[in-house]
Amino acid sequence: MLTFILRRIALGFLVLTLATALLYILVQLAPGDPASAMLGPRASPKIKAEFREKLGLDRPMPVQIVNYLIAVGQGDLGTDLKTKRPVVETIAAHAPHTIALVGAALLLAAGLGIPLGAAAAVRRNGWFDRALGVASVSLISIPPVVIAIYGMLFFSAHLGWLPAIGAGEGFWDNLRHLLLPAFAVGIGWVGYIARLVRASMIEVLGANYIRNARSFGLPSRMVTYRYALRAAIAPTIAVLGVGVGYMLGTAAFAEIVFARPGIGKMMYDAVTLRNYPLTLGAVLCATALMVAATTVADILNAALDPRFKDGRE
Amino acid sequence: MGKPLLEVVNLGVKYGPLQAVNYVSFQLEPGRILGIVGESGSGKSTLLWALTRLLPEAAALNSGEVWFDGEDLLRLAPDRLRALRGSRISYISQDPMTSLAPGLTIGQQMMDVLHREPWPAREKWARAVDSLDWVSLPDPEARMHMYPHELSGGQRQRVSIAMALMLKPDLVLADEPTTALDPTLEVEILALLRRLQRETGAAVIFVTHHLGVVHSLCDEVLVMKDGDIREAGTVAQVFAKPQDIYTQCLLRCDPARIINPTRRLPTMADAMAAPALPMTGPAGRIDTKSPAVLTLEGLSVTYHRRGLIPTVLGGKTESIHAVRQVSFDIKRGETVALIGESGSGKTTVARAILGLAQPEAGSIRLNGHELRGQNRNGWTAARAKVAMMFQDPGGSLSPRMTIARQVVEPLIIHGRATEATRGRALELLAMAGLESRYADRYPHELSGGQARRAGVARALALSPELIVADEPTAGLDVSVQGEVINLLNGLQEKLRIAILLITHNMAVVRHTADRAVVLLKGQVVETGPTAAIFAGAKEPYTRALIAAAQHNIPEPESL
Repeated sequence: MLTFILRRIALGFLVLTLATALLYILVQLAPGDPASAMLGPRASPKIKAEFREKLGLDRPMPVQIVNYLIAVGQGDLGTDLKTKRPVVETIAAHAPHTIALVGAALLLAAGLGIPLGAAAAVRRNGWFDRALGVASVSLISIPPVVIAIYGMLFFSAHLGWLPAIGAGEGFWDNLRHLLLPAFAVGIGWVGYIARLVRASMIEVLGANYIRNARSFGLPSRMVTYRYALRAAIAPTIAVLGVGVGYMLGTAAFAEIVFARPGIGKMMYDAVTLRNYPLTLGAVLCATALMVAATTVADILNAALDPRFKDGRE
Repeated sequence: MGKPLLEVVNLGVKYGPLQAVNYVSFQLEPGRILGIVGESGSGKSTLLWALTRLLPEAAALNSGEVWFDGEDLLRLAPDRLRALRGSRISYISQDPMTSLAPGLTIGQQMMDVLHREPWPAREKWARAVDSLDWVSLPDPEARMHMYPHELSGGQRQRVSIAMALMLKPDLVLADEPTTALDPTLEVEILALLRRLQRETGAAVIFVTHHLGVVHSLCDEVLVMKDGDIREAGTVAQVFAKPQDIYTQCLLRCDPARIINPTRRLPTMADAMAAPALPMTGPAGRIDTKSPAVLTLEGLSVTYHRRGLIPTVLGGKTESIHAVRQVSFDIKRGETVALIGESGSGKTTVARAILGLAQPEAGSIRLNGHELRGQNRNGWTAARAKVAMMFQDPGGSLSPRMTIARQVVEPLIIHGRATEATRGRALELLAMAGLESRYADRYPHELSGGQARRAGVARALALSPELIVADEPTAGLDVSVQGEVINLLNGLQEKLRIAILLITHNMAVVRHTADRAVVLLKGQVVETGPTAAIFAGAKEPYTRALIAAAQHNIPEPESL
């Protein structure tokens, strides 16, 4: 198991390195010259050339990539063009808000979706199952932005229960500020996860070993949760791992709507200002989060079902 | 007659409109072994699982009483019924590969069976280890920490048996517990069951489609067909003087019970009319003059396992010698049986012949032409002459195409689409003995035997010179095994095809093969004419296989 975990982490780093190199190439290939963007259109060619030389942009692409990778490895993501401080610092200031938001949304999606789906599978075709089916589809089909805006209008503007914008100060205030955006990002996933868990749970409940467990007189709670859910949850974990990437995208919307100082909001501002180093740093940060999420998902799956680990090697 | 342990009265189970178990009644006395035998769809498994109300949702109990120890199990409160399960009545189910939960260790699952017992965890653990030792599982302490997928099929079935017998139940319900196992393993597991039954004195109901198993294991037998009990009695009575016509046919047409080799076995339809014909000699059928259709010389295949990271880091790769130095040939009109247990390399040889596995050394010659080192086109041309019949008859047909459409599929793949007409499809189906009314059906609408026939028709599409038949009778009922053997033998006589038969069912070998090649751990250990192998096999493994086919279960004392 330990070797598997170490190997997954090593693989995660490999993926991250390749993604970083690819990102660098993409940014360089994109139309628009960073020198013109940063120095303004009226800068003389000489100044531009000096600027390029200073940033190493005049050297061959492979050298640039390696240099960039080395710099990233040392934690140097360049200088934020707006604040003139290291990009790493800006990201470090913003990332916790995004991690908290995606984490809370994930918790909501899994914490509600998994038990609801399992309960629906056990009571298949009952009224609860049918009601959940309708509710799931409704939740999936409402765009998160709509939920965000109406949530804000109702709970903040109308009822005044929750703050509308910002991230707050201190733990409890932070939590209050987190509720609405997390709800907006995560609620659609509750329905999706519930449907997924229900489907795989129904499949597992028909398996031979479930009938066997019943034939040994195990209590039905034990059969449902210890035997069935354990096996049924694997596809859901994999989906949630990949889902973090999707949630990061939704989180950007939520951060803009709620003026929450996270990576998404930061990236939005950076792109509008053509703040290249910061944009690149923000994308890298999102990529790292995504890779970390899929790695954790794989490790969790291997812990739940050891065949997962052995089949991969 | 003593007081029965179990009394089933008028039990009926419905699947939708179908009465799967048709109001059956029987009794079982303590300590007796009852065999329930029948073909697939006869309702035998449904009956077994109905006894403790463990039927799937689609099935409904619609009649009857099941008396066990003075209580009607069909009307017992769920909690009281659950208390009986595992402790006084337990099950051993069919497929050892799917009967244990994949995510829990053997130890966890065995401890769960003991969840009601008042013992401390340590004692539960010790008792579980004892039971694994009891079923002769080597190194039980270490197995407790393993997951099911780390054990072989036979070992898993031993675990299932240990779990079922751990609490010394009065009644053990076994649903085809050996069907998914190799014949030699099957014999071992049956011997184990018999030993445990004697030691615990439990009554057993043993559901199987295998007449031989019933004969050697059981005291009494019920013969089921279409939900009805057709015959009931002691094993000695029923096997010596079957009363029902269905039982009589079944006993007559089981290939395993026909000891004298014959190329034309009796079938259910003509079992009463025609006695088995004596074996016809290979003279005139086998072409001994022309070069062999297939010649293998010193064939070796090695599998390499490597992951991404070991390759990048230059780590060492793991090699498995699947097949080493295998040589044999097959002549026109001849059937050669390739015999061996799971993992012996039989399938790898077949894969190499079809170009699906890369041989490391040796030669594969088709009509004298070397196939090794051929490019894609060379292999494509070769594959037109070699047809494969896959093991799982239903699973190897596409569920989305009609039968007529897929039997001519090989013609389309080999660029002869103009020949892939409906007429040709019907012709091929007729050769395989399928009437034209099956042409527009989909595979799920066919029985196992019909799906097998469709597979034969597809194999014939390109008029091959060699058919590689992988376990052609596996998973088929006894009543249709003979038909499939007759079909292959008949086609061979008519078309003079060479057949490579891959199997470990010696009954099939006896009635089809001219010569046999025995593989053990990837190497040929024995080869010769089939009759000579049956008369005096040198290898203990071959002898065990032959004994298994005749269901000579060794006495527990000799284990």
